[in-house]
Amino acid sequence: MFKKFAIVLAIACILTGCGPSYHWTKSHPLYKQVPYSSLSITGTENAFILTRSKWFAKKLGFDSLNVQKEATKFCEQVFLDEMKRAYPGLKQIPDSSILRFPEESQKIDDRVFIKGHFPEQGVSVTDGGSVPPYILILHEFIIGTDINRVIFYDYEIIRQESAEKKTSNNLSIVLSYTLWDNVNQRPLFSAVDEIQHPITKITMDDMKAAVTEAAKKIRIHLYEGVR
Amino acid sequence: MKRFSFAILLIISLAASALAGDVYFNKHPVLWENPDILIWTPDGENPIDPKELCLSLKRTNSGIGTPKCRVFGEWERDTAAMHYAKWLQKNIDPELDEEYLHIRHPALMAKVQQLEDNIVLYLADNGNTVNVAIFDETSTNPKVAGRVTKTNDKIALGDEIASTFFSGKTKRRLSKEERKKLLDEPDEYYKEVPSFRAWAGVSIGYSQAHIPLTPDDWTESHTKSKVRNYRITKDSVSLWNFIEDEDPLLSVHLGGIWYGFIGLELIYRFAKHRVKIDETDSVYEELDHWNFYQHEVGLNALFARSYTITKWLDIDLFAFLGFQYSFYVEDIALKDEVKKPSKAYNVRIRFESAYKGGLIGGGAQFVFFKHYGIALRTGISSRGRDMYVDPTPDAAAAPSVIGGSTIDWFASVGLEYHWSL
Repeated sequence: MFKKFAIVLAIACILTGCGPSYHWTKSHPLYKQVPYSSLSITGTENAFILTRSKWFAKKLGFDSLNVQKEATKFCEQVFLDEMKRAYPGLKQIPDSSILRFPEESQKIDDRVFIKGHFPEQGVSVTDGGSVPPYILILHEFIIGTDINRVIFYDYEIIRQESAEKKTSNNLSIVLSYTLWDNVNQRPLFSAVDEIQHPITKITMDDMKAAVTEAAKKIRIHLYEGVR
Repeated sequence: MKRFSFAILLIISLAASALAGDVYFNKHPVLWENPDILIWTPDGENPIDPKELCLSLKRTNSGIGTPKCRVFGEWERDTAAMHYAKWLQKNIDPELDEEYLHIRHPALMAKVQQLEDNIVLYLADNGNTVNVAIFDETSTNPKVAGRVTKTNDKIALGDEIASTFFSGKTKRRLSKEERKKLLDEPDEYYKEVPSFRAWAGVSIGYSQAHIPLTPDDWTESHTKSKVRNYRITKDSVSLWNFIEDEDPLLSVHLGGIWYGFIGLELIYRFAKHRVKIDETDSVYEELDHWNFYQHEVGLNALFARSYTITKWLDIDLFAFLGFQYSFYVEDIALKDEVKKPSKAYNVRIRFESAYKGGLIGGGAQFVFFKHYGIALRTGISSRGRDMYVDPTPDAAAAPSVIGGSTIDWFASVGLEYHWSL
C-alpha cells in the first residue's frame, strides 16, 4: 500500500515537474490587445550576435574577419523582411532612440531575467516628431550551434563555467524581446525564445529558415500573451 | 423604533461607503504620530488645500496628533520625479499591484530612501476622480494606491482622503537616536539561543505492548495469555502475561535544556492496569476487582535542535534516552459477601517491589510566544530485573521472578509552560 503510494507520488512529481521549471514569457495585466498596424521595431541594429564565428565563416564561405558583420547583417535583413511581411505597417526606429536609456534587467521568472534598454517612466520615444504607440524592442538575437536559452538566461547557471561544446546538430537562435507600450511606458509582453533548426551541412538557406522561424515565433507569442 | 434606527444606520453606512474612495492595494505603511505629510502632484495645481487636509486628518483620526502638511516642492521641481509622477497618473489601475508601479529611475529611488519618516502623498487629477498613492522610505513601490471621487469642495475631498487612507493606528515618531539604533538592530528572526530553558508540563498518552511496525507475534504470546487460579500463566517473563497492556497514561514532566542542545528531564508516569483473569476459572467468583497501579519515576537525557519558524513559534525536535524505576501497587478486593478467601487467593502472584528499566524515544515541542508549549512524545520503555544473579543452592526451589523483561510503546501529548534564563 505504502509502496504504491510512493510510486504514485513519484510519478506525479515527474509529471508536474518538481525539478526547475521556467516561465519564458511574461505579460502585463493590462496587455489586452495585440498591436497590428501600429507596431514599430527597434534594437535590431545591435541585437544580432554570432557565436562560433570562425566555424560559420568556414562553413558559409565568409571572410573570417568580416563574418560577424556580414552574417548578422544578412540575418537582420531576413528578420526585418519577415516582420514586415507579418506587420505591413512596421516602422523601424533607430536603436539610438532607446540606447540613451540605461540598461536594466527585467524579471521574467524567479530565475530568468532579461537585460535591455527600456525608455524611462514618463518619457515617450519619438520617431521624427510622431509618437509610435507600440514598440517591439529586440534586446538580444544570439545565433549559434546547439545553444539553449537556459545557459544564457537562468542567472543561477550563467555564472557557472562549462566546457565549450563543439557539436553542430542544430542551428540555434536565442532571442529576447519586449513589446513596449510607448504611450503608457510599460512593458506589455516580454519573452525569451529559442529556435533549434536541425542541420546536416549548413547553408545560407538554413540561416534564413531559422531566422524566419524566430520572427514567426515572436508573432505567435505576441498573440498568445494577451490576457 | 428599533427597526427605524437600524434603517438609518444602514443608510448612513451605505452613504459612508459610497463616499469613501477605492483602495486598490494597501501594504499598511507606518502612520506616524505628528506626521509630516508631503503632497506631491504632477498637475501643478493642487487638488486639495494642505491646511484643510491637516484639519481633516485631525478630525478623522484622533491619534494622529498635530500633522504638518505641505506641498512637496523639491520633487515637483525634479525632472526624474516629475516624469515618474506623470507616468503614475496613467498607470494607477485597479488591476495593477505595487510591483507594476515600481520606481525605475535610480535618482528617484535614491530620493525615496532619504525620505526618513516623512509620508509622501501623491495626488493626481484624473477627470472625475483623484488618484492617490502613498510612499515611504521603506519601498520604491507605492505602499498604497487608490482613488477618491473628485469634488471642488476641498474640505470634503480632504475628509475623504483622510478617512480612506489615514484612518489606521498611529505610531510615535522616532528620535534621531532611536532611528539610528533601529538601523543597528538585528533582524527580528535572529535571536540567540537562550543558555538555559526549562519547562514543566503534564501530558496524557497511551501505551501498549505491541510496538508499531513490528510483527504481531513478537508480543502476541504475552498479550493473549490469561491468569488462571490467581497465579498460573504460560510464562512470567513479561508483566503483560498478567496485566492488560493497552491503557491510558498520565505523566508529569520537569525538564531543562542547555544551549538548545543538551538537556535533562525528570518524569513521573502513572497508569492503571487490570489483571487479565481467566473468566472461565470459577475460583474468581469471589473476586470483585484486581488491578495494579503503575508508578514510574525516570530521568531522561535529551538531545535537541531548535527551529524558529515565526516570531511567536519555536519548534524543538528532540531525542531522549533515560532510565526509570517502576512500582506496581496492587489493588484487590473480594466481593462483600465473601467471608473467607480461597486458598489460591492467599498464595496469589506477587510482583517485585521495584523494577528498573530504560526509555528511548523522541518528540517535538511547539513553543508559542516563548512560553506556551505543546509537546508530542513517543518511545519505547522497558522494565525488568537482573535475570543473571549468581545461582544459589536453593535456586531451583525458589519461585520464578515475575516480569523479567517487559517492554511497551507509548505516545503522549502534553501541555507545557516554558521559561528561559
